[in-house]
Amino acid sequence: MAITTKEIEKIADLSHLRFTPKELQLFVDPFQEILDYCAQLEALPTDTVEPTYHALDQERATPMREDQVQASFSSKQALANAPDSSDEHFRVPAVIE
Amino acid sequence: MIHQRSIRELRDSITRQEVSVTEVVEGFLDRIDQQEEKVKAFLSVEAESARAQARALDEKLAQGEALHGLLTGIPVAVKDNIVTEEIRTTCGSRILENYVPPYDATVVRSLKENGAIVVGKANCDEFAMGSSTENSAYFPTRNPWDLERVPGGSSGGSAAAVAAWEVPGALGSDTGGSIRQPAAFCGVVGLKPTYGRVSRYGLVAFASSLDQIGPLANSVWDVALLLQAIAGSDARDSTSVQRPVEDYLEDLGKDVEGFRIGVPSEWFSSGLDPQIEQAVQGAIQKLEGLGCVVKEVHLPHTEHAISTYYIIAPAEASSNLARYDGVKYGYRSSDASNLEDMFRSARSQGFGEEVKRRIMIGTYALSSGYYDAFFLKASKVRTLLKNDYLEAFKEVDFLVGPTTPSLPFKMGAKTTDPLQMYLMDVYTVTANLAGIPGLALPCGFSQEGLPIGLQIQAPHFEEAKLLRLAHALEGELAVERPELAVDQ
Repeated sequence: MAITTKEIEKIADLSHLRFTPKELQLFVDPFQEILDYCAQLEALPTDTVEPTYHALDQERATPMREDQVQASFSSKQALANAPDSSDEHFRVPAVIE
Repeated sequence: MIHQRSIRELRDSITRQEVSVTEVVEGFLDRIDQQEEKVKAFLSVEAESARAQARALDEKLAQGEALHGLLTGIPVAVKDNIVTEEIRTTCGSRILENYVPPYDATVVRSLKENGAIVVGKANCDEFAMGSSTENSAYFPTRNPWDLERVPGGSSGGSAAAVAAWEVPGALGSDTGGSIRQPAAFCGVVGLKPTYGRVSRYGLVAFASSLDQIGPLANSVWDVALLLQAIAGSDARDSTSVQRPVEDYLEDLGKDVEGFRIGVPSEWFSSGLDPQIEQAVQGAIQKLEGLGCVVKEVHLPHTEHAISTYYIIAPAEASSNLARYDGVKYGYRSSDASNLEDMFRSARSQGFGEEVKRRIMIGTYALSSGYYDAFFLKASKVRTLLKNDYLEAFKEVDFLVGPTTPSLPFKMGAKTTDPLQMYLMDVYTVTANLAGIPGLALPCGFSQEGLPIGLQIQAPHFEEAKLLRLAHALEGELAVERPELAVDQ
């Protein structure tokens, strides 16, 4: 299953990543090699097998707790790592003209 | 030399007030000063806060206050993908270069509540993606037994710091072998607990269904104590399991007669370094000598483990790493013209090559048209791999084999061939896919003087028994430790 440059560009777009033409050139072969290796699973019959998404399905209780208000970060703390902020908000480039 | 003492010895000396916490902390800070230039295990060393905590503990001890913490005065390193309040946490990535968390991970809080002193943040592969610590955006860590070789990864900083006696214990994280493989490469003990045994709150997520925090130290006893301090359920992590924590120390020293040991034939197939095979087989004979019953077992789907892991882990990563967009924290490019462009620039400039590769693999495996063939298929094979274990554990109590197929390799040897790097994880990834605990234990040294680690895996939540077996084997092996390269 040979992957095309166009497909890689599509995946990069979905991933919100950009590659320079030179980066893309270096990216293709290892990516193809890894996909080919992983595609070996195809030969394994799994029609009757249920998928596993969590290692401890039986014990996965994710118990509900009382919905009580608890102390949380102040907006100052929450904004402390923001690259750009204004008053009590994160600031980003304009979305609406 | 204070830095050569185990956590157990340090704890006894501090309790008896034969040594002050300040002396202990200064001893390790001195050692870090001497070694760090060579080993480069730390992304940051928090000397001043460590000294202040030591002074505070010493004052309490001087006033005769009884300190009940399991780790009173013990210096520890914490992998830099585990958040620490007011201490920069980078995950080995440029995208988090200036990130200073406003909170402690639950495990860090547990360490502190038990009196441990966090002396620094350990280097790691970026977002824990790698098997050599060469993917750190800052610098690679070196193997203290041979500075031209890698310490393994992704918890390479944690393992190297413990091996070089820069700290007596450390925390790492293990998504596909990232505690056990560097422990084996550095000749220390490393444990990946059962999924859900230790809270992941504050562990920067890589692959949420596989990630687990665990301890590294120079002995099984020390690892058991560290696990005791961090294990337990946590309201902040809904995947942590509400199940009582066992006493991990009380059975250490008890005999292991009659324990049933399975040796999976698939773990000794082609590709295994003959020196590792010999050392592991020697250890298995020692287990027989201890009265264990050894038999061959089969894990028939082992050959599909790497494919399965390298679809599921990147798929989960591609989703988890979507949060890095330059809005709330992390790197933001100054040259973005609009919001969309800002996201793309932050991610493209902030992430390193391997992280981008895994996001791409994961996005591909989850994308329309490939989901069934990749992600769904791998999730089904995950069931088969898990069933292999369930079958094997009907017959035996433990599985024993190698941790890694090769000895620690030279720096740069595999950086241009990602698939070769992935294949290093062949014996470790299945424990994560099945959620079972696994422990790496030093079992010898190669002719070149490089450490060899065996691996013991056990059924879910059997950490106490696993540690008991490892402790007995550790005593029986009595591996002689050559002089560290950094001390020559």
